[in-house]
Amino acid sequence: MKVSLSWLNDYVNIEMDVLDLASALTMTGLEVESITNSFDYLENIVVGRIVEISPHPNAEKLKICRVDTGNSIVQVVCGAPNIVENILAPLALPGTIFSDGSVIQRCDIRGQTSEGMLCSEKELELGDDKSGVMFLSGTPKTGTKISEALSLSDFVLEIGLTPNRSDCLSLIGIAREIAAIQRVKIKYPVKQQPDKNKDILKYTSVRIEAPEHCPRYAAALVTDITVSESPFWLRKRLISIGQRPINNIVDITNFVMMEFGQPLHAFDFNRLAENRIVVRTAEKGETFVTLDHKERILDPEMLMICDGKKPVAIAGVMGGLNSEIGISTKSVLIESAYFNPLSIRKTSKKLGLSTEASYRFERGLDPLGTVKALARAALLMTEIGNGKLTGGVIDENPLIHDVVPIELSVSETGRLLGIEMNRENIKSCLESIEFGVENADSDTLKVTPPSFRVDITRSVDLMEEAARLYGYNNIPTTMPFMHAETNQPLKTLVLRDKIKNIMTGLSFMEVINYSFINESSCDQLRLLSNDTKIKLLHVLNPLNEEQGVMRTSLIPGLLETMRRNLSQQVRNLKLFETGNIFLSRGQETLPEEVEMVAGLWTGDRYNSAWYAKETGCDFYDIKGIVEGLISGLNINNSCFTKMSSELCRYTKQGHTAQVTIEGRPIGLVGEVHPEVLRNFNLKQKAFIFELNCNTLLDVANNAKTSKPLPKFPFTTRDITVIVSKDIEAMSILGKLNSFGEKLIENTQLFDVFEGDPVPPGKKSVSVRIIYRSPEKTLEDNEINGIHINITNRLLGEFNASLPA
Amino acid sequence: MENTIDQICTEALREIETAESKDSLNAVSVKYLGRKGIITQFLRNISKLPPEERPKAGEKANEIKKILEKAFAGTANRLSFQSPEMHDFIDVSLPGKSALHGSLHPITQITRQICDIFIRMGFDIAEGPEIESDYYNFEALNIPKYHPARDMQDTFYVSDNIVLRTHTSPIQVRVMEKRKPPVKVIAPGKVYRSDSDITHTPMFHQVEGLMVGENISFGNLKGILTNFVHLMFDEKTSLRFRPSFFPFTEPSAEVDILCVMCRGNGCRICSQTGWLEVLGSGMVHPAVFENVGYDTTKITGFAFGMGVERITMLKYGIDDIRKFFENDLRFLRQF
Repeated sequence: MKVSLSWLNDYVNIEMDVLDLASALTMTGLEVESITNSFDYLENIVVGRIVEISPHPNAEKLKICRVDTGNSIVQVVCGAPNIVENILAPLALPGTIFSDGSVIQRCDIRGQTSEGMLCSEKELELGDDKSGVMFLSGTPKTGTKISEALSLSDFVLEIGLTPNRSDCLSLIGIAREIAAIQRVKIKYPVKQQPDKNKDILKYTSVRIEAPEHCPRYAAALVTDITVSESPFWLRKRLISIGQRPINNIVDITNFVMMEFGQPLHAFDFNRLAENRIVVRTAEKGETFVTLDHKERILDPEMLMICDGKKPVAIAGVMGGLNSEIGISTKSVLIESAYFNPLSIRKTSKKLGLSTEASYRFERGLDPLGTVKALARAALLMTEIGNGKLTGGVIDENPLIHDVVPIELSVSETGRLLGIEMNRENIKSCLESIEFGVENADSDTLKVTPPSFRVDITRSVDLMEEAARLYGYNNIPTTMPFMHAETNQPLKTLVLRDKIKNIMTGLSFMEVINYSFINESSCDQLRLLSNDTKIKLLHVLNPLNEEQGVMRTSLIPGLLETMRRNLSQQVRNLKLFETGNIFLSRGQETLPEEVEMVAGLWTGDRYNSAWYAKETGCDFYDIKGIVEGLISGLNINNSCFTKMSSELCRYTKQGHTAQVTIEGRPIGLVGEVHPEVLRNFNLKQKAFIFELNCNTLLDVANNAKTSKPLPKFPFTTRDITVIVSKDIEAMSILGKLNSFGEKLIENTQLFDVFEGDPVPPGKKSVSVRIIYRSPEKTLEDNEINGIHINITNRLLGEFNASLPA
Repeated sequence: MENTIDQICTEALREIETAESKDSLNAVSVKYLGRKGIITQFLRNISKLPPEERPKAGEKANEIKKILEKAFAGTANRLSFQSPEMHDFIDVSLPGKSALHGSLHPITQITRQICDIFIRMGFDIAEGPEIESDYYNFEALNIPKYHPARDMQDTFYVSDNIVLRTHTSPIQVRVMEKRKPPVKVIAPGKVYRSDSDITHTPMFHQVEGLMVGENISFGNLKGILTNFVHLMFDEKTSLRFRPSFFPFTEPSAEVDILCVMCRGNGCRICSQTGWLEVLGSGMVHPAVFENVGYDTTKITGFAFGMGVERITMLKYGIDDIRKFFENDLRFLRQF
């Protein structure tokens, strides 16, 4: 909401300077977002003195003026008939931008250079006179800015209104707040009493067929008007707050709306069929062309203003082209109504059309302001439009405004605010904004809010009013006394924090990607139609296609992040993210939200290392990270198994492992499928993992028990077996452990080798077995026997041989 | 005689200590302790002494032998670390072998800082779903359907009744439904609004807070939040509480801090106002308490919420919110 100080001054004498005023308004809840000077557009216009006038050699009506700008003498071509030498006149210098968008530039007019423009009152938007150049009286110095020379200054405040303060969607509303701040009385415009006679009923009528949508409808009739441009003062007022003047009749309705906050509409009376108004809801599929020349499709919930035959306006939203005020309009029917806020809001939402009027109706008008504004507009139309007011107004279905006083406890107010409030403090705050306050008992006030404060319905609303006018800064800052009891920390949060700490410790960088992805990501990931990740939850109104659905995997986000970084020449990346994925259970139900952690490693194993050759990272690098993460979470029974190609669609078959813990799948680790890389436009290999945090939380073992340390030394024996290449090395260790030999404390894989001298199709696997007894130091011969036995069993199990 | 042996000992110790190499040390050893060494000779000669002097002399000689042996061992140890390889050196300026630390996203870092402050003040942390029903996101918070206050937040819809939560405030309601007062919780999380420019992203992070009990006042709200701002920014940060409107609090207050860039003189960051909005807050609206079944005659409380991105931008001098989600490593590495 924009307001100008000069306009506000019509209703309240502003005693503060503009900065103090802005700060005071802000601190009572009307946030001033900006302060501008409405004469800023005059910045490049200075006082010029016409030194010499000579005829234009190539144009009879133009003259060449030499104008003193204070700094220099410039040549200006001018066509105004009234110029004479030695007068002072406003000179627009090159760079001036007028409100119509035209720009003054140094230019050539019929072969003569012109370095500016001498302006009329009208051109400067300072008055109506366009007959010639504006003469400046007095003795302003040449070169001074015109705004200074004429003492033109009017500040415009842009106020960010909260949705509850519909009463402040008007100049009077804001003036009322200023009056309260200054604790002075507001000067309302002189109230017009409508004529007692009801002549108007001879010419027109109003019938409300949908009273629940339209509790009140008032109308006045002005005849014999002349539609023309509004006078300067009216145009100026509207322009100052960002409204575009149209013609005197429309401008008056807008002016009164801005003044009182009551939207008005003017119909061309002679274009209303049967010269009457019917208020009804639209018929299904009915269409209507609004003032903006757009055809609107209506539905039965929309309220329409109609004449005897057809709709002429969408109630409270926008008028129709078919009853628009034009230059030929002679009689005007002015509408001032109170529409149901919800009804207008629904219509406005459905049509996607929000106007100054609908904005006010949907926030709630002063139910008692209907006729006041109507009378004011009608009077202005007689004054400015030379019209004749038909006697009386129509005021159909006058809404009975229920005045229900609200009880306010002084002590409760103090308790909520945390300050001893006395009755008089509260009273004076509330009375300053026109609330009626009476004493009910020793602690209770009976407060009657004014009709325009439709937001005040319960005592806490009054406490807020008292608090804001008392000043939040005057309420002491105190610390609460609270019970010290507390609760267990959230397990999910503890796990997430741990994961993040471990991952950064493993030199991974945390990233945060949007929770939405492009629907096509599923295809890019090569997902099959039966994949759970394809159960997408759609956003109905996404900002763009890239954010059309909620993610069902963190991988697309990581791949996008990789792509963005590669395009910035950052090619060694170790990234991780934790966050929810969303598995749809249908658009009408809340989805399943599952927290995941995912990581991506691409580029070199070491970042430009001087001690190692540049080697790309590989599967075992990322697997090592997953193992580090899992063991860091105190989980030591994880299992990595080969994953079938149906299960891993976006990783490479044969290069992907499923991670399970206690038989429960936790996620996967693997190399990104080359086709997926291509789909994401990535030109280097990448390795990823994705684990389900919810399951991790289930299997994580937080119980830690100390075990005694061994007392006797261990003995090791190494064993190398030649096995078929397709045998997984870890299955050999698994087998060893499954033999149940109590003296085996641990087994370690220390070499895997393929190639000469190992025969083709085979590989050698070397394992170190650590033997230890809890009771004694083991003798060599004791172990040798066991070891030979174990070796033979192993060779048999894997159809293996010993190295030659 | 005793004098003599003491003199021998002193001389021997001097020679041991000044030995420059293993060879010269060996020579000293042979000289004193060898088969024909001075001490060995001395020991042999004891048998020639009168019987009554022998024990004392023997004792003395053994004592000296031990002293010298210890001295030999000490010098031998010292000399053993003077080998040529001990003069080798390496280039200590070379970078260490890859053991870099990763880093947490700046949003995570600031969220943790915020949470830590409130945890120290006795708050618990709560979380809730990111996709919410209309009831929890709006209606339970006193924002009925078609209320103009819904315009304050550009909502992403999944269906008529399911939305991407526009704030973390639904968690307030979920917590109060489960717990009896007193309640002290904060709720961090992702929120979504359909808006995108230099100061808005369609997803961002909030931390919501709630303190409810008997006699919790607006003055307490000011106390807790002032304390928070002083810990989050610095002790000298000026702040002001400005009347505002949120449907689920009343009275409501925006909390502004004096602009950290211009110290209140007015600049681009604070739109020339000298103040920066950092928190929304207010006393919990009785309608919200009624929705969760709290006794509004006894229970009062306050709630607040803040945008983590905004606070991070102020603390780290970041000018474009979109940078947080572009995840350019050159940006992330700075934190």
